[in-house]
Amino acid sequence: MTTEDKRAEIDRRFDETFTVFDARMRKEQETISQERAGREGQEGQEGQEGQEGREGQEGQEGQEGQEGGIASGTGSEGGQGGDVAAGAGSQGGGGGVGGGAKGGSGSRDVPADIPDGRDDDIVARQLREAAMKEMDPELRERLWEEYRKYKQSTQ
Amino acid sequence: MTSSNTPVGSGRSWRACCLVLALMLGAAGCVVQDERPMAPVVAQKATAEIPQAELLDVGVRMFDPNIPPDPVEQEKRGIYPDVRKAESRYMPVLLRDTLESTGQWGQVRVLPAESSGSDVNIGARIIESDGSVLQLAVTVTDATGRTWLRKDYEGLADTRAYKDVPVKPRDPFDNVYATIANDLLAARNELTREQRVQVHQVANLRFASELAPYAFNPYLVHDPKRGTYAIARLPAEGDPVVQRMDRVHERDYALIDTLNEHYTNFGETIDDAYVNWRKYSHEELAAAADAKRKALTRGLLGAAAVIGGVMAGQNTNSSAGSAAATAAVIGGIYAFKSGLDMRAEIKMHDESLKQLGSSFQNEVQPSVVDIEGRTLELKGSAEQQYAEWRRLLRELYENETGLPATTAETTRPAAGKR
Repeated sequence: MTTEDKRAEIDRRFDETFTVFDARMRKEQETISQERAGREGQEGQEGQEGQEGREGQEGQEGQEGQEGGIASGTGSEGGQGGDVAAGAGSQGGGGGVGGGAKGGSGSRDVPADIPDGRDDDIVARQLREAAMKEMDPELRERLWEEYRKYKQSTQ
Repeated sequence: MTSSNTPVGSGRSWRACCLVLALMLGAAGCVVQDERPMAPVVAQKATAEIPQAELLDVGVRMFDPNIPPDPVEQEKRGIYPDVRKAESRYMPVLLRDTLESTGQWGQVRVLPAESSGSDVNIGARIIESDGSVLQLAVTVTDATGRTWLRKDYEGLADTRAYKDVPVKPRDPFDNVYATIANDLLAARNELTREQRVQVHQVANLRFASELAPYAFNPYLVHDPKRGTYAIARLPAEGDPVVQRMDRVHERDYALIDTLNEHYTNFGETIDDAYVNWRKYSHEELAAAADAKRKALTRGLLGAAAVIGGVMAGQNTNSSAGSAAATAAVIGGIYAFKSGLDMRAEIKMHDESLKQLGSSFQNEVQPSVVDIEGRTLELKGSAEQQYAEWRRLLRELYENETGLPATTAETTRPAAGKR
């Protein structure tokens, strides 16, 4: 085999490996593009749902006055996002991945004398949320009492 | 009794209390974070086209997450390992985007942590990141081994980024990335045209010498002690090994670009949740700082009032003075107790921060595991290809020169490792 023949043989093997490698990269990039497109589509849909959810919730707030609007943003990712929002004492409506069924929970009765919470600061929000989540009625009432005292002290 | 009849000792006590108070209030004031909007730092954009030969490619390595191994230390410093791992992949993407937006550089790519295969290589360690503060220790070197920068960058969050607005705001720490970009530019501008061209040439030769050291080592002068590389001579234009090496190099770029797509995708996946985590963490940190300041102030005011009241009571003979002293003591006790109550609030904020971090960590963990797995898989399959190309280059070299490829080869992992 001459030098040229050997070089041609090596080039052929180079080309084969390049073809395999290029195909692998193309496939990987297609997968990434599909994932991105899927996510963008989902976000668009969730954004719309989130907006509708917020609007609905605002209406409900007007009626019930106390829910505080923890839910926000996307629906299907709402479980964990709702956790984040709850942990932070979110006022809701802030976009992101909050919301969904979990984010919107916390529907215990709120005593009639408790204000609507629109002007709650972060401490009041946390007291409110803790009270709304609390299952034990006695403890819940103590938390509401703390909330009342705190609100009075800040006015 | 009038004030002129106040005993000297009592006056001294009050002055002492006031001095202590002033000092402590000063200390308490130090924990309050500046909330004013910040003047944006703008990354300087290119105003003229840069010649191709001088255009340097930049590799931003994944940041060192700097996670302490001890879980107790992690908790003490508020570090959540998976959050830090996510940040170590997310932040380089932001820095890459900032650098790209300036038009001052060639290709800007995020590289795996162990890579250093670009003309200019940026590495950073996350010192602190909590939504209020970002501190990075940044090191920048070029392919010749020259150190461009070794500097700590620290920035407070621009709180405008945490406001709910329809248009996506700047990153709260954009100023940090823009400052790094401007420092990088200043460092590049200190190089001569020849030095810039050489940086690019050395980068190419280092890539080649790691795949085919027997063929390319003679073109480089390496000083292992100083960690520097210089050009001994350049290969001939039509060299068949160089031509094939260029084709391999194109694939290396393709691999890095694909990994970059993964990093970008990862950044987009966690973006909303990460912004929310930083936003709420910032709120909690600010509230906790405020509560700490109030607790300290009230505690000190209370203590000073009690001490002052007791001293005044000891030094007064009138019933009015005694009543005033008693009132001061009672008021002081109340203020002191109020300070203690604030400590309960501080604890609540600390708990909230822990809950936030833990919740975000749970949310981001699957994405971190996913990106780690995909990167390893991609690099693993590329390793096989690199091994094959290394064999082919050796065969080609021996075929072209008639000489045995005797220089010991280094094992070259995929994706730009040098």
